[in-house]
Amino acid sequence: MTVTKSTVLAAGLAAALLGTGPAAAQQEPGLTPTSIKIGMFAPLSGANMAYGFDVANAAKMYYDKINKEGGIHGRKIEVVLEDDRCNANDLVAAVKKLVEQDQVFILNGGSCSAAVVAAKEYVVRNKVPLVMLNASGDGALYPPTDYIFGAFSISQYAVGGAMIDFAAKTLGAKKIAYVNHDDAYGAWNLEGAKADAEASKVDLAVESVNPTINDVTAPFLKLRAANPDALLIVTYARPAALMIKKAAEMGFNKPIILSVTGTANLSQLMQNVGGPDALKNFYFQDVLADLPGGPKIKWVYDMYKQSYPDLAAKPDHPQAYMPYGIPSAMSIVKALQAAGPNPTREKVLDAMKTLNFDSGVMAGPVVFGPSERAANKATIFIKFDGTNQTLQPGVYSSRWKFKG
Amino acid sequence: MDKDLILLFLQQGIVSGMVVGSVYALLALSIVMIFKTSEVPNFAQGEIFMAAGYCALFLLVFQATPVWLAVPLTLVVAFAGAALFRRVVLTQVSRASGSPVNLVIATLGLSYVLKGLVRRTGFGDTPRSFPALVSTDGVMIGQASITRLDVAIFLTALAVMAFLFCLFAYTKVGRAMRAVGMNPKAARLMGVDLQRIHMLVWGLSAVVSAIAALLISPKILMTAEMGGIVTMAFAAAIVGGFTSLPGAVVGGFVIGIAENLVGLFISSRAIVVAPFVAIMLVLIVRPQGLFGGRVAIKKV
Repeated sequence: MTVTKSTVLAAGLAAALLGTGPAAAQQEPGLTPTSIKIGMFAPLSGANMAYGFDVANAAKMYYDKINKEGGIHGRKIEVVLEDDRCNANDLVAAVKKLVEQDQVFILNGGSCSAAVVAAKEYVVRNKVPLVMLNASGDGALYPPTDYIFGAFSISQYAVGGAMIDFAAKTLGAKKIAYVNHDDAYGAWNLEGAKADAEASKVDLAVESVNPTINDVTAPFLKLRAANPDALLIVTYARPAALMIKKAAEMGFNKPIILSVTGTANLSQLMQNVGGPDALKNFYFQDVLADLPGGPKIKWVYDMYKQSYPDLAAKPDHPQAYMPYGIPSAMSIVKALQAAGPNPTREKVLDAMKTLNFDSGVMAGPVVFGPSERAANKATIFIKFDGTNQTLQPGVYSSRWKFKG
Repeated sequence: MDKDLILLFLQQGIVSGMVVGSVYALLALSIVMIFKTSEVPNFAQGEIFMAAGYCALFLLVFQATPVWLAVPLTLVVAFAGAALFRRVVLTQVSRASGSPVNLVIATLGLSYVLKGLVRRTGFGDTPRSFPALVSTDGVMIGQASITRLDVAIFLTALAVMAFLFCLFAYTKVGRAMRAVGMNPKAARLMGVDLQRIHMLVWGLSAVVSAIAALLISPKILMTAEMGGIVTMAFAAAIVGGFTSLPGAVVGGFVIGIAENLVGLFISSRAIVVAPFVAIMLVLIVRPQGLFGGRVAIKKV
């Protein structure tokens, strides 16, 4: 029998591929026999801190819980956390540091859509799994890639559609005034809203405003002139407060529904609209399974108090979006568990694509699929009079589907 | 769009535009005042406006200082801060290089410092409401609906403009300011203390900006980015001719009304571009602005 050079080479390659499975797993960045390194990033300082500081804390406390229970297949989760300030430049720099310097296995971060979308190209090029925290991040989710998963809070496409669904079904609105931002963020939620308006046979009067708008007289008057049955505000907190205040000043008494994007601080909202009189017929959208602190999600708030007693004692803590960090962390943990004792990034990504579970935290289940990268599309609605919050029955979602 | 709606939009657009335009006019005045005396466009004017607003918010809301004390205190802080910046920073920058570009960069630096300081306090982390010093009950002017606060904003802005007119026209210090603006060398030969006048102009300009902040903050909600409103003031100043104080006032009203009418009759999306369209139109028809002097051609 003659042994050629190529036979030796093939045998060597086969041995390398077949015989060193665990060793190969160990060569994955951020993975040791005893630890898995997760790179987190969120706005830990600056004007947009309310969007992600406590969301990151929630994810961290969930990882701590998993570690206390023994970790994942014997490996403890090790978190490296960076501040992205909800700014695209800072966020990309944080991602590069986590991937190149800290050599993390998987990324878990992003609380602001526009900023996190800026990391898409880098993440995809380097084939690093990115599981967002609470950013909708639709710009990075559609069209779907193999590496990015998000919208654990909710997809922007679903925000607008679910609001139409609520206004039409529960409030019986036939003509709806709709205010959104005049940017990509606004375009996404309007696309979902239009899909649901068509399905519900509802007329939409739309005004798109710049997020920095100071005087909302013109858009408000135009919407009021359309004689709507309800006013839907799908903006950040500041333009939303200006619209609600203007509506009160001009005696508008139809229902006003505020999207989840504008509800970061409800007590501040009440002050900003000039007091409870402006909230006589007011609803806001939420994506949790229950009222904040309600019985279904009390465990999250209890865990927060236990994990961060100093923070919990401060006013305005936990921040409104805190629980959104849990389903994101849960998804990573479930995917790592499913990937087995010798995980690779590819195995984890494959597991992510098949996730379908109820986190017990959000209004709807986390569902990914072959071409589905947005975790949540379900919302609830709460009536708010400035003091009391009353949960409205039902869960509302959008009928919008990505068409490629 | 039916005739009644057109009439309603027209009235509301003009009335609301005059209210917000009066604040743009005040800010434009504060920009022009500095530019006339030192030929430096102050790119920190918006942040001076913002910082003064936060100073008042801190005193009124977080320290529960009474209004009669908080308002003058805010104006004093604004005056002293801006005058000191002129005396300490700009004088040094001017001595070091003498290039106006460096002075402009110094004002940009001030804008970043003020924004950073406000962010450091933590008050700028979330949009905050500034307590309205006047009731926000509704008032009808024709078919236009505004609030008592809007009326107070407009009247106070007019009163400040009248005060500035009297100051520049009838007082010795006002005439000295104008003289420095026209010909600083001749003014110095006539015994005017240029350093003192520059400090006074910067201080006065900051006080006018602070008044604008006190007036408009209850309407727009406060953030560390609220100084961005100065873009409208620059537009107003350009429309008015940039060196003309009456021009700055008229420019403010033009921009305020244009914003509202464009939003009502064209599109809400077009509100942000309205001031720039107004600038283009005015500059096409009158390159020197509405109240600017004749276009001077320099021989080289």
